[in-house]
Amino acid sequence: MSEQKEESGLLLECRGINKSYNGPMVLTDVDFSMRHGEIHALVGENGAGKSTLIKIITGVTNRNSGTMRFEGRDIGLEHSRHAAQTLGIAVIYQELSLIPGMTVAQNLFLTKEPRFRMVRLIDIRKMNAMAQEIIDCYGFHLKATDIIDHLSIAQRQTVEILKALNSKASLVIMDEPTSSLTSTETSQLFDIIRKLKEEGIGVLYISHRMEEVYNLSDRVTVLRDGRKVAVLDEAQIDPAEIIRLMIGRRLEESESHHMLSRRDGEKVLEVEHITSERKFTDISFSVHAGEILGIGGLVGSGRTEVLRALYGIDPIDSGSVRFFGKPWTPGVAQSIRTGFGFIPEERRLQGIMGAISITGNIGITNLDTIRKSLFVSDRKELSLARKAIGLMNIKPADPAVPVGNLSGGNQQKVVVGKWLIRDLKVLFVDEPTVGIDIGAKEEMYQTFAQLSAAGVAIILVSSDLPELTRLSHRILVLRKGRVIKEFAEGEVTEEDVLRASSGLVEGGAK
Amino acid sequence: MKFDRAKVQRLIADSRLFIILLLLGAILTILSPRFLTIENLSNVLWSVCLIGIMSSGAIYAPVTGGIDLSVASNASLSGIIAYELMNVGHMHWVLALAITLAFGVLIGLVNGVLTTKFRVPAFIVTMAAKTYLFGFAMLVSNGATITIMGPPQFLAIGVGKFLGLPIPIYIMLVMIIASHILLKHTGFGRKAIAVGANEVAAKLSGVDPDLTRMIVYSISGVTASVAGIVMASLTQQAYAPNASGYELDVITAIVVGGTSLMGGNGSVAGALIGAVMVGFINNGLNLMNIPASYQPLVTGVVILLALILNQGIKMPAFLRLLKRA
Amino acid sequence: MLIASRRRLILIGLLLAIGAALSLLSRSFLTLDNLMTLLQEASQTGIVAIGFTLVLITAGIDMSIGAVIAVTAMVCANFLTYTHIPAALFIPMSLGVGLLVGAFNGFFITRFKLPEFIVTLASRGILAGLALIIAVKDSMGFVSNVYIQDPVYLSFGGTIGPVYIITIVFFAMAFLTQSFLKRTRAGTNVYATGANPTAARLSGINTKRSIYGVYMFSGFCASIAAIFISSRMMTAMPDFGIGSEMDVIASVVIGGTPFTGGVGDIWGTVLGTLFLALIKNGILKLGISPYVQPIAIGGIIVVVVILDVWYKSYAEGQARRSARRARESDSRSAAA
Repeated sequence: MSEQKEESGLLLECRGINKSYNGPMVLTDVDFSMRHGEIHALVGENGAGKSTLIKIITGVTNRNSGTMRFEGRDIGLEHSRHAAQTLGIAVIYQELSLIPGMTVAQNLFLTKEPRFRMVRLIDIRKMNAMAQEIIDCYGFHLKATDIIDHLSIAQRQTVEILKALNSKASLVIMDEPTSSLTSTETSQLFDIIRKLKEEGIGVLYISHRMEEVYNLSDRVTVLRDGRKVAVLDEAQIDPAEIIRLMIGRRLEESESHHMLSRRDGEKVLEVEHITSERKFTDISFSVHAGEILGIGGLVGSGRTEVLRALYGIDPIDSGSVRFFGKPWTPGVAQSIRTGFGFIPEERRLQGIMGAISITGNIGITNLDTIRKSLFVSDRKELSLARKAIGLMNIKPADPAVPVGNLSGGNQQKVVVGKWLIRDLKVLFVDEPTVGIDIGAKEEMYQTFAQLSAAGVAIILVSSDLPELTRLSHRILVLRKGRVIKEFAEGEVTEEDVLRASSGLVEGGAK
Repeated sequence: MKFDRAKVQRLIADSRLFIILLLLGAILTILSPRFLTIENLSNVLWSVCLIGIMSSGAIYAPVTGGIDLSVASNASLSGIIAYELMNVGHMHWVLALAITLAFGVLIGLVNGVLTTKFRVPAFIVTMAAKTYLFGFAMLVSNGATITIMGPPQFLAIGVGKFLGLPIPIYIMLVMIIASHILLKHTGFGRKAIAVGANEVAAKLSGVDPDLTRMIVYSISGVTASVAGIVMASLTQQAYAPNASGYELDVITAIVVGGTSLMGGNGSVAGALIGAVMVGFINNGLNLMNIPASYQPLVTGVVILLALILNQGIKMPAFLRLLKRA
Repeated sequence: MLIASRRRLILIGLLLAIGAALSLLSRSFLTLDNLMTLLQEASQTGIVAIGFTLVLITAGIDMSIGAVIAVTAMVCANFLTYTHIPAALFIPMSLGVGLLVGAFNGFFITRFKLPEFIVTLASRGILAGLALIIAVKDSMGFVSNVYIQDPVYLSFGGTIGPVYIITIVFFAMAFLTQSFLKRTRAGTNVYATGANPTAARLSGINTKRSIYGVYMFSGFCASIAAIFISSRMMTAMPDFGIGSEMDVIASVVIGGTPFTGGVGDIWGTVLGTLFLALIKNGILKLGISPYVQPIAIGGIIVVVVILDVWYKSYAEGQARRSARRARESDSRSAAA
């Protein structure tokens, strides 16, 4: 076990980091520093620049300008993943980078397996013993011979941490490590993190969960819109204050407060106590014609799952749904026929068929409209495509272009456009403007407004708080699979939503 | 007046293919004067017919991102089944053929079910099918080469002529046209393309990928059956290795015709041109007295070339890569 | 892995059971002669299957193995007929055929990222034709039978005591390859490349090198098999090995190496090879029509894959259920 470091020097020191990916600045003049043996949280909204900063530190991408020093040594502009590893910077990703089918020991010692001196064969016994030594040293409940596939996510994370320790890392970075953990596992992880701290290892921790940040961190750095807004010391850490800093003040004050309005149209969809095991529990709400119901919450709170279940992709274990007062059992083909639409979360993977033209993408969802007995009318399909192109202002306005060749914003317009030309009653929308330029965003918002005016009920999931508060008539906030708060009237600010998402409702943290 | 750009693009691609075909024909004529004779061309014709018939159904497998390697064994087996039903079982030829086709569908359906519900990769399923169907064919025929003497209506399928052209050509043309219409002008065709392009997005758009695939392999099975019947009638023979090797020709025809093995697109017209090309190449090799066993060699080279070109790697880039390697 | 060892026990049990049944049902089964022949047949497929297993572990496939056998045999035939180079020299040289083909396959797979199945299928076609081109032909241009009389060459097909040399080589290769896989860094890297290539690369493994390696080894194994086959048959024909892919695939599938990669080992393949040889031998001994053989092979492949898929989803369900129970008791005790 190494001795506690009494260093006055900093572990990591970044000054004036600037970064842009061929376009707008993602990070502007960011300062960031870490001390040895410190637990440092990095917070900020989606798009604030956290991931980019991490990528720069770990060498996945490179900064445009600014200085970076690790353990007193300069890191040049051509930093690399390999270099970061050698220096002692380790990252624990969400998609863990372990090799399935192998044991803990094998993963720990990958490419560095201990070998016999005479023969160049791996000394399995020694490897297992060494691995077990490290495991026991940190007091983990793992066996070196456990196979990765049989371990829970929490345990696998532990193995990743062990990998970092084994490669003598002095900085361990964790990106939202608790999103798939139970509360017991989370507190176990915190114990591990505190142990790392005792070893003098710095832990850089990204999280949206205020209570974790509050319980764990020595310091907190808040990023907003690519800039460092504040660095808080332990005494100053207060969840409410952090949220305020994350949101910040907008130039147009009027924009940050949004009026909610009750829509008294017909009840289009009534959801009663629906539950899906391990995804969401006891969700009830209703949506009226022409209403935009926003659903807020942190990543992993069950928002997408609810949408998918209502559209019919995933099953619902219990509870019931009514459509215009009549009982309704969701199923994709049925849903489409009845007037439901669905904008999926991941445009590239789920939303578009890249090799196929705009016409084809639009046509596949509208087969019922363009079919005439057995055959599909090319002309009808083309006219539908042209209609969608016109309605959504898709550029280039050429129906034959493969959708994969369009820009992100235009791709999303195709995804939305194919529903627009139908007789929609309900539209499920999941993160509609991720990776889209501002102009396309505005057009998208106008489209939603038009749909709402025409009487379509929209259920909108968005992690983009300005977007959520601006568009929604009502906002439902989910937390850990349940509805925690409904904002139905009066004013709501982004801060209100984020506080609710983080469990900071009236009466203290949950 | 606005042109439909997609149609024009496809036309250009197909005509490029057609031009290559003409060039190929020209080269072969130069290499062997016997090529351009009616006698020789009618030889080419029947192998093109068979490849074409099989391709008309088999093309759907690559469209959905899969592959069907069992078509040749299916065809051979179908010929034997038809014989057994008609000549040994003395069944009416129409009924016998109907049952044979039903078998073809069944074989395809089994492939489809195994690859969808049991998640077994298509090439394993169809490769295993190729083997056990061959075994069945040998078993039923007892390893013998069966000569088919009748009934005359059955033989008319292969030998008969209508308006001066052999009937198999009509069968092939009908199936090619039907397949083209199915692929380009029906909902099912679009669903198959969607499944190959992005299965998840297709599912979200209301398509059932499993059902679509099961139908695809059934179609492939039935066209293989048709080809087997035509082949048995044409050659007046039925034996287990009858159509051996045809699956490679079929895949070549489909790939050369512009259909990607990754899924998401398909050209039946291209497959037809590809079938003619394969027929030309095989025939050309024959004329030059190169034994039939060399065909796979040329086919192999052609597939690799067609693949590389189809994957969008242009010549200059290819050469650059070679330099770097 | 618990599931794998359980599966292996079942396989061994089946092997013994079928063996016992055959001994009872057929008088000529349990003779030394028959058993040795069975082992010899198994070894022929098995040697190729060893190389194939490695390819499979990287989640790839090699359809060209049969054609490599043919070309290797033809190369030897040419050496025999047209040169005076002693067998002791040209036999090792001909093993280079397999290595070259493997490199060729590896190149197209890694550089162009073309699907392994198609690349090796295409090279199979090319090689099959190549075998014919370089085949020794008589004055009329027909392929002639090359009779092998060279004693060194023929010795490969011989025996040491009652056991065929090929069988000894097979088991030796199995042992060495298994040691390579489980006890060397390169072997571990092969598993990693197949299980999670991204993670492997992140850990610094050269996955390209692993892929080249396994395809070259696969070709190498096929070439070795070619020497033994032609030695035993005392002749070299250009159609040797063509069509043997199914036997190899069946052996490996029965042995439990999945096509998805990342798992598998040689002893499983050995068992699978023995099992397949047993089935074939049994069909022969019981007087069942030899045409049943391809049905059996194709059918077994399908059945085994289905069973594996079923068992995997069952086992996964079990694991999920027990994990959930653990979490629930976790949270209950935490709440208490």
